[in-house]
Amino acid sequence: MSTIAREGVKATEPLRPEPATVVDVIEETPNIKSFRVVFDDPELMQSFTFLPGQVGQLGIVGVGESTFAISSPPSEKEYLQFSVMKTGEVTSALHELTPGDKVSLRAPLGCAFPTDEWKGKKVLVVGGGIGMAPLRCLFMHLMDHQEDYQRLQLIYGARTPRDICFTNDCKLWGEVEELDFITTIDTEHPEWTGRTGLVPHVLEEEAPDPANTIAVTCGPPIMIKYVLQSLEKLGFRDEQIFTTLERRMKCGIGFCGRCNIGPKYVCVDGPVFTLKELRELPDEH
Amino acid sequence: MGRFIASENIPVLLTRLATDGAVWAPAELPDSGESVVFAPWQPGREVVLDRFTQMSPKELVLPMSERLLSFSYTLTMEGEEMEVESAIPGGHTVIFGARACDAKALVVLDALFHQDPETTWSDTQYRARRDDMTVVTIACVKGTADAACFCSSWENGTAEKAGSDVIIYPVPGGFLAEAVTIRGTEVTGWDMFDDSDQPLPELDTTDVVDFDGLVEKLVTPGVFSDLDFWGRESHKCISCGYCTYGCPTCYCFNIYDEMQGDRQGERCRSWDACMFYNYTVETSGHNPRPTIAHRWRNRLGHKFSYYPANQGETLCTGCGRCIRGCPTGVDIRDILRAAGEHE
Repeated sequence: MSTIAREGVKATEPLRPEPATVVDVIEETPNIKSFRVVFDDPELMQSFTFLPGQVGQLGIVGVGESTFAISSPPSEKEYLQFSVMKTGEVTSALHELTPGDKVSLRAPLGCAFPTDEWKGKKVLVVGGGIGMAPLRCLFMHLMDHQEDYQRLQLIYGARTPRDICFTNDCKLWGEVEELDFITTIDTEHPEWTGRTGLVPHVLEEEAPDPANTIAVTCGPPIMIKYVLQSLEKLGFRDEQIFTTLERRMKCGIGFCGRCNIGPKYVCVDGPVFTLKELRELPDEH
Repeated sequence: MGRFIASENIPVLLTRLATDGAVWAPAELPDSGESVVFAPWQPGREVVLDRFTQMSPKELVLPMSERLLSFSYTLTMEGEEMEVESAIPGGHTVIFGARACDAKALVVLDALFHQDPETTWSDTQYRARRDDMTVVTIACVKGTADAACFCSSWENGTAEKAGSDVIIYPVPGGFLAEAVTIRGTEVTGWDMFDDSDQPLPELDTTDVVDFDGLVEKLVTPGVFSDLDFWGRESHKCISCGYCTYGCPTCYCFNIYDEMQGDRQGERCRSWDACMFYNYTVETSGHNPRPTIAHRWRNRLGHKFSYYPANQGETLCTGCGRCIRGCPTGVDIRDILRAAGEHE
């Protein structure tokens, strides 16, 4: 299901990034920032398209690049957003950036959520922490085409109120009546009056009907593990469940070798996989 | 009618080839005991054609380290500007004295790095080098192959012609030459070659690993689901990575940036190895292939299952370098045979 969209990465120069500029930096949590970036080439910016779930290699030349999900929806034509947790060398350097600074970008890479195939179905999105980044893009895309889907449901969890990303979006989503949106934090907290409980527990309490439903999940590995168990308990089949994976990556085009799980390369065959696909691969998650 | 070149005319041929570009030929590495490696040829330098090279000529298409891009920042009236340019290697390369396994390896690598840019990615630097290259292969005639060779496991074995422009066959007094490509016909047409009606000498055969049924076993579930098997089979391995560096088809690489001052720099890549712990370790500390058993499963899987499935070629040509060079005596053939017998 790999899709190669060509704007932004030339087929004959796939490792050459395009210069881009940071136009906005949003502090999401104490260690997560969202960067809104614009390609320096206005023609490229205008023609650029991608699909939800696709990723980009965002970086700083002189430091390096890393793979991040595009967290803005395809309908957002003014900028591309990447939400970055400060963890290593590249992410720490990115966290120093301010509007006007230069970044390098190779995008779009990887394959997308098959949202066209989901038309007419209910979509349940289950996210945790920074795992919400690709899901934000997906969910906003689904909302853009709400009439195509029977029902949209989002369960988003974070450890504490301060770890919730995209708080402005969450406020907006909370106000949309047709949406079924739940934010939860792991345990009671003085700053929090909303729902508490671990994501898998909340999911089981909500007990969405698996009939004609697609479930998508992304978050910390431990959360994904228990969410998958809960979905199974609720009666979801492996082919109804989608997730998006992370791996150490360098090239993003299936050449450098390291991100494979068996014959599948997370960078080109993924990062989106169904649970059914993953079960057929060696257990190297 | 074939063509013949006398041994004393080999330097004449090399001199002629050198007018087209850089000639790399097997030579003894100074002060290294008897190690033979591909080295830039210069007039007067002895070419060693009767021993195998320790390293394959892979570095002539995928150098151990190379520049991918150069970049610079400049301050303009409009603000800071950033320029990024691909480094495109130029100039013809001649590989002289490759073996059939080495030449075939180039074709195997082409299947990934030199795909049609109309349908998928194509590697900038690899493509530039491959498109401007002559390969002269020395045939493995009777008495050449050693105990580590196993190219006869594939249909063509030592008679494989893929990847070669010219194949030269050692005969008394010189070499018979066979043109494989148009470029090969051009080269063997030069006047340091003479016509000859000598028959081509018989080629050697090597050890054979029986691949029948192996691909069906290298799957999940199957031998891939038995991590204990991989632990047992790789217990001698110390994860040094020699097998990957010596291999003519291993291509994994790392990418890193180097600054020259604070306004410009280069993005480079260098060989990496799937046998290294750090190859897959993530920033969080999580490693999807944490043990040597995991890494061996992936190494063998990549060569004999994943690459064939994705690229249609086995990622191995039976050159035997990983066997000859392994410091702890791991023999990939033993693991292949054990996998084939796995219940």
